[in-house]
Formats: sequence, structure tokens, C-alpha cells
Amino acid sequence: MSHVNAVTFTIVVVLFLVVTLTGFAAARWRRAEDMLHLNEWGLGGRGFGTFVAWFLLGGDLYTAYTFIAVPAAVFGAGAVTGFFAVAYTIIVFPIALIFLPRLWSIARVHNYVTPADFIRGRYGSRALALAIAFTGILALMPYIALQLVGIQAVLTVMGVGTASANTFVKDLPLFIAFLVLAVFTYVSGLRAPALIAFVKDTLVYLMIIVAILYLPAKVGGWGHIFAAGQAHLKAISPVTHKPAGVFIPVSGNSQLAFSTLALGSALALMVYPHAVTGVLSTKRRDIIKRNMALLPIYSIMLAFIALLGYVAVADKTTAANVKKAGNAQLAVPYLFQHLFPSWFTGVAFSAIVIGALVPAAIMAIAAANLFTRNIFKEFFKPDASPRLETRVSQWVSLVVKAGALLFAIELPKTFSINLQLLGGIWIVQTFPSLVFGLFTRWFHRWALLAGWLAGMIFGTIAAYKVSTPTTSHWAGSVDTLFGHTYYIGLSALILNVAVSAVLTIVLRAAGVPAGADETLPQQYTADPVDTPAPAPAGIGMASQVRGGRADGGTA
Amino acid sequence: MTQPSDTPKTSGGSRSPVAANPVISAIIAILVLASIFFALWVPLYASATPKVGAFPFFYFYLLIYMPVLGVVMWIVITLQKRLRAGPSAGGAAAASDGEVAR
Repeated sequence: MSHVNAVTFTIVVVLFLVVTLTGFAAARWRRAEDMLHLNEWGLGGRGFGTFVAWFLLGGDLYTAYTFIAVPAAVFGAGAVTGFFAVAYTIIVFPIALIFLPRLWSIARVHNYVTPADFIRGRYGSRALALAIAFTGILALMPYIALQLVGIQAVLTVMGVGTASANTFVKDLPLFIAFLVLAVFTYVSGLRAPALIAFVKDTLVYLMIIVAILYLPAKVGGWGHIFAAGQAHLKAISPVTHKPAGVFIPVSGNSQLAFSTLALGSALALMVYPHAVTGVLSTKRRDIIKRNMALLPIYSIMLAFIALLGYVAVADKTTAANVKKAGNAQLAVPYLFQHLFPSWFTGVAFSAIVIGALVPAAIMAIAAANLFTRNIFKEFFKPDASPRLETRVSQWVSLVVKAGALLFAIELPKTFSINLQLLGGIWIVQTFPSLVFGLFTRWFHRWALLAGWLAGMIFGTIAAYKVSTPTTSHWAGSVDTLFGHTYYIGLSALILNVAVSAVLTIVLRAAGVPAGADETLPQQYTADPVDTPAPAPAGIGMASQVRGGRADGGTA
Repeated sequence: MTQPSDTPKTSGGSRSPVAANPVISAIIAILVLASIFFALWVPLYASATPKVGAFPFFYFYLLIYMPVLGVVMWIVITLQKRLRAGPSAGGAAAASDGEVAR
């Protein structure tokens, strides 16, 4: 701990304490009669309005991935694997507007807590619901891990804990941050990240506005920044004998990679269980729609944050520091540390750390809900009381975080963005069951399951085989097939849909039972405005909300 | 309804809002699809020129896309509200749609 800046360190610690207290105080915010209810702990009482939802969804979708990994990728590789994130956060909103309101309505009518609850009710298939829940938990792990990698990057630059060669001592601050996160999530549930999101966003907006107004002039203006970025990406790497990256994707292959990455990631984002958790916590159907128009304000910020990657290239000291450390993740923290006064570096670092904690908490809650509702209750204890469900969720949220910590420490972190893309490859395989299912029952449940399996296997193997001269496996999520370069998640999804469609025709012709559907067409557009969220019924026991004549039969 | 490209059958009832207002529905569908398409069709904007200020066109285009998207999404949501209000509120709402719809 030799080079720790006292001012920076103090500010980070103080703001971290503020957030910790907020996290615990959140348990009292909009206090429910009975916190031991999954609608309360896991969905914040299903009562968030436009304002809170904006912060919560923003905190959900714009994470440490935004602040660390995107600029790192832009720094290292430029437009295709870095700046695609901007196109991705553009198209995610129109795509989400197509299906999220329907998901909200059907979940409210039937009191579904997780995406897999819906699958269970729609297809009457425990196996398919299990597959969806399993994928959700699996995909959330690396995503939570990515948040921890973000915290780690900040801690490394601050000089905290890096002096020791011992893994445990080295990562001790990470363990502490992590423990605090785990405990307040356990106590306050979804209310904690919702309340902390206010603090987080205030800091993040402050950080980014100051960074955009202050930093470019410091390093010689945008003209110089783009020129430096272009020159850096053109330089031939001594290891790969190829240019470091792409400044503007002009070749057909780089354009295809750019758009398939953007499309695949956008399809994935809104089927992530934590995004669904955020959506289901809102009070009314309109609130989700309104947020699809309001959230792009965040994306403007993302675009500028991405460009900080080039600012880091243009700043010679930062570029040299990153090179010395051999870790592009450190680009933004080093940049801030070098150019900001130390007190503001403290504010900016806190913004990143807290920006990692909020989504990590929501993700852990989402994963815990999946386990409780769709694995524990479904297969082990069908008569679990709401109280027991909540208790199990609380404990599982701790286990999930521990798993993510393992992910963060064990996997190569040169490009933590790939962790998220790996999770994206998996989660996008749930898209056909979930999103197609919101519109049609044409697909057969077993066909969807087979398609899912095909997509998962293909996607995982393809991602495993991606290598670079410096990394033998898991080196990226873009692959070349038939001479075209594209995102593995999307090719796996195409395979998934093809298998599902073909098998649906076969199974239908063979007369294999399609399973009971407990949902009704008009329930997908229901908007029970003033109806309070009903108590969670057992899965398959539909509650009655405006226009919802439920035929509660499930196979 | 929420899904512009969906077939009316899933929305239930004999007079679905989509079927009752084909023009508004089409506008919604076009706006949603266009906002996806113009971000994904990279050849459209993958060039360094014309530079806007110091920004190469590629970067400027994606930056300016965001506020535009916010406005387009807001228009879509407003139109969807009309669509929903249309059949249940009867002629009044439909008449006020006049300029847009017909």
C-alpha cells in the first residue's frame, strides 16, 4: 500500500460508507407489511414509478461494464469490438419496446417473478422452465464477475492491496466490498440497489460531465484525440502481426462483426433475468414504455464514456501506464488518476465502484429468484411458503455472489468484456422461448428445448475455440464462419431457431402433446393500473386480475 | 398494441386496435424498424468524412443517434396510446387522429 493517495482513498472510503448505510436503510424505504415475501424482497413490492424505474433500470443496464470494459475495448481494439456497444445500446430500446410491455402484463396477471415462471405457465413444461432458469443463473455469474473486475481495476490503480503477491491479501479490498454488497442485498433485497442507484447516478453524471468538459482540452482537443486513436489502432502489433484494431469499420467483415455484435447483445440484454427483475418491479405498464424513451439519455453518456478509450490513448502518461501494467481495463482509472485532481479522482472512482455494486446486487437477486422459484420450489419443495421462498432467495443471493467472485479471480481478465459476451451467448439462447412465446404458441415446447440445447452447445464450443496468439481459449466472441466474421451469440441463436422450427413441425405432425397454456391472449396487454400486486400464488395458479379468466390447469 | 409487427389475433376481441387503425399501426411499425435498421446498417455511416467538428462521421452519427432515438421512441409511445384509446373511446379519439391517420 505504498503509493496510495490519501485524499482519493479517503473520499472513496467515505462514499462507500454512505452507500453501505443507504443499502441498509433501504429496508425501511416504502416499507412493506411483510418483507419476507418474494414480491417484496425480490421485486421491491412491484411498486416503482417512472422516476425510480429510470434509475433502477439505468443502474441495471449501465454497469461497470460501461465504465471500464467498453473504454478498455475501445482503447485496445477500437470500433468493432468496443464502440459497437453504442450501436447496441441504441437498438436495445426499440427491440425492448416490442416485447417488454407484454412480458410485464402477463407477469402481473399471473404473478410471475422470474422469466422462467412465464415459460412454465406458457408451455406447461417444467423441463423448459428449468433450462431457462439454469441459463439465467449461468449467464449472470460472469456478468456479476464483470462488475467485480471493474472494482478490481479501480482498486489496482488506487494502489490498494496490489503490493502483496498473496492472492488473498491482494484481493482483500475486493472481498470487503463484496461482503458489504452481499449483506445489504440479503437484508434489503431489491430496495437496496434501487435506492443506491440515486447516489450512483448522481456521481456518475458528475463524473462523466466533468470528464467530457475537462479532459479533452487537457490532452489537446478532440481532433488530436481521434488522430491519436487512429494512429494507435493502425500500429502493427509485434505479437499478432496485425493492426491493433479498427478505427472505422470499412471492410465488409468488420461491418458484419460490428452489427452482429450489436444485434446479438441487444437481443440478449433484455432477456437477462436482472433486466426482467427491473421491469417487473414497476407499478404500471406505461412506466416501462416511458423508460424506453428516457433511457437513451443514459446511452449518450455511454457513447462519451466509450470515447474515453481514445482520450486515454491520446494521453501519453496514461497510455504508458496501461502498457506497463499490461491491462487495458486500467485505461480509464489511470486516465482519471493522471488528469483529475486527487479529490475528484476519489469521486470518479467511487462512481465506478458503486456503479458496479448496484447491478451486481440486482443480478444476484435475479439469480436467487430463479433458483428459488424454478428449481427449489419446482423440484424440491412445491409447498414452500412465501416466507421460506424469500429465505432461500436471500441465502442463494450470497452463494451466487461467491460463485461470481470465483469467476472474477479465476478467468483471464485482459478483456473482461468477453466475460459479458460469453454470458450473452448463453442468455440469448433463451430468446426464442421467452420472446417468441410472448407472441405465439406455435413453437413446440420440446422443440424449443432442443433448439436451446443446440444453441448452448454450439455457442460454448465456438467461444472456447476462439484464440489469439496471446490467449489460447475464450479469447473473444467473434468467429469466422464461411468467410464471414460475426458474433457467435447470433449464429448460435440462428441455429437455435432453426432447430426449434424444424422440430416443431415434426413434433406437431407426430402429435406429441404441446402442454397446457395457462395464459390468455388478452392478458398480454392487460394493464391493471390500480390493482395492487397480488400475493404470489404458486406457479401455475393464476390469480384473477382485470380480464384474466384464468384456466389454472397445468400439465 | 405494443407490438407493431404482431398479428391482431393475439390481442383478442373482435375489433383489435391494430386492425382498427392500420395507418397508425403501420407508422409505429415503420418507426420501430427504422430505428433498429439505421443503427445496424453500418455501410451507411462507416466513414471518416464528412467530419463534424473534430468528430469523424462514424462517431458523430452514433452520438447524435441517441437523442433522436429518444424522440422517436416518445413518438411511438404517444401513437401507441392513441391506438389503445381509439376503439374504447369511440369516435372522438379517432377523429382527433385525423391528420395523422388519414
